[in-house]
Amino acid sequence: MTLMRDVYIIGAGMTQFGKHLERSLRDLGREACLLAIQDAGVTPKEIEAGYCGNALAPAIQGETGVGQNVFWEVGICGIPIVNMENACASGSTALREGWMAVAGGFYDAVMIVGVEKAVMPKGTMLNVGAGELETKLGEVFPGYFAAIAQKHMERFGTTREQMAQVSVKNHIHGSLNPYAQFQKKFTVEDVLNSPMIADPLTLYSCCPNSDGAAALILCSKEKARRANGKAIRIAASVLTTGTYENQRDITNWDVEIRAAQQAYKMASLGPEDLNVVEVHDAFTICEIIHYEGLGLCPLGEGGRLIEEGATELGGKIPVNPSGGLLSKGHPVGASGVAQVVEIVWHLRGQAGGRQVQGARVGLADMMGGNKEGDTRACTVHILVKE
Amino acid sequence: MPESTKTIPSARTGSEVPVQAGLFNYPLTDGGRPALKGNRCSLCGKSFFPKRAVCPECFVSGVMEDIELERQGVIYASTVVRVSSPAGIKAPYAYGYVDLPASRLRVFALFTGADPGSFVPGGKVEMVLEPIGTDAEGKTVIGYKFRPVSG
Repeated sequence: MTLMRDVYIIGAGMTQFGKHLERSLRDLGREACLLAIQDAGVTPKEIEAGYCGNALAPAIQGETGVGQNVFWEVGICGIPIVNMENACASGSTALREGWMAVAGGFYDAVMIVGVEKAVMPKGTMLNVGAGELETKLGEVFPGYFAAIAQKHMERFGTTREQMAQVSVKNHIHGSLNPYAQFQKKFTVEDVLNSPMIADPLTLYSCCPNSDGAAALILCSKEKARRANGKAIRIAASVLTTGTYENQRDITNWDVEIRAAQQAYKMASLGPEDLNVVEVHDAFTICEIIHYEGLGLCPLGEGGRLIEEGATELGGKIPVNPSGGLLSKGHPVGASGVAQVVEIVWHLRGQAGGRQVQGARVGLADMMGGNKEGDTRACTVHILVKE
Repeated sequence: MPESTKTIPSARTGSEVPVQAGLFNYPLTDGGRPALKGNRCSLCGKSFFPKRAVCPECFVSGVMEDIELERQGVIYASTVVRVSSPAGIKAPYAYGYVDLPASRLRVFALFTGADPGSFVPGGKVEMVLEPIGTDAEGKTVIGYKFRPVSG
């Protein structure tokens, strides 16, 4: 660990998230990569390795090797390029791999892209995990999180209204984000009265399937000096997986608690030092459990934290100023990269109408995939403006 | 209601297929009671469903013993799903996790035999084998579910 070098983000860019029915993975990926390259002020020839997060292209588009396709669109070839699949954490896993390569001294500059086209024809559901026993027996994504929500309600008294407030807050934030899929605000009643998907989660309690891409350029400290003060340091990068403990308490994810603790230790920071946070709010209950897992509040008090307004813009610790997955949208493999793009913008003071004033420390938390009632992958990144 | 074998239609016609091999005996022999099949590590005592080839704690081969899971359990968590599943199950339907204390296991399962909203944590349920859908070859897929304990 002591031999690791500091790693900086010098370029960040993303497409608008939403429905891009006429655009290809390459087209979306190219836009995000070009924005990151221009932002960093580097040339494609300076990039020494590329990491691409994508989860669903083999299943939906029948396309594999997306990383080589996208990077070649911006003239990046002849270097190591790796395709990463870790469900919703595919993009953040790609970031973690790129970070390790620069931190370990293998490369001085690498590029990360997350790209996905996950918009499905109306009325169809993503048929992923079809080989899993639970899926064969009839499990669907929202149902797993609904059962968790039921248990959280039973154990801690979390209410439907508190969960709905997560969606209301994130849609308010999303209305301030030109990159967000939805620019529409809802009331608690709108969320509660939208069609029931899996009790207690309603339609507006669930994130959409989206198309989009996001990209980052990482580099060593020496190269970062050229970035005119725009460089943001990656103070921690953690990836871990579930333990699949059969009779675990499903009201929290121990995988996330472990990842957060490792990240805080690596960064020599704690939850009290954070100014802005992005979490994986695939469903409203998830954001409440992430508050607890990241230590923003004690276990069981996530419902109270949203109710107090602590996590809205202007609150004690704004969470998902981008609108989160609920409002910004969820192009699965891109979301983990886009979270970090958002944090970079806040730390640089470039987040426009949703800017968290004076933010110096930000955290991005991503979870990916279900296995035996646990989470397959969890990443936590902490970013610091020096 | 008598034993749940009653809910299994014409089990020996070859037009039915278990959802996954090795989870339960099917078709049942005459008078057989349906049971989920797991295994247990004889070194650490940890049990598994579905069966595992190797205990992830002990990592010693040849020590796994087959076990039959008890038929009755208690609901740990549940939900009612209001959208149809890609597996072909029509909404609404209930599912969740069932604790089997004697086996020290929790299993994911669909619920059957009562109003979907009636399956709540703490409720006592028992395992049955039932059709859950049709496969690509038109065969009826047989899965396990849990229903309220009768009486």
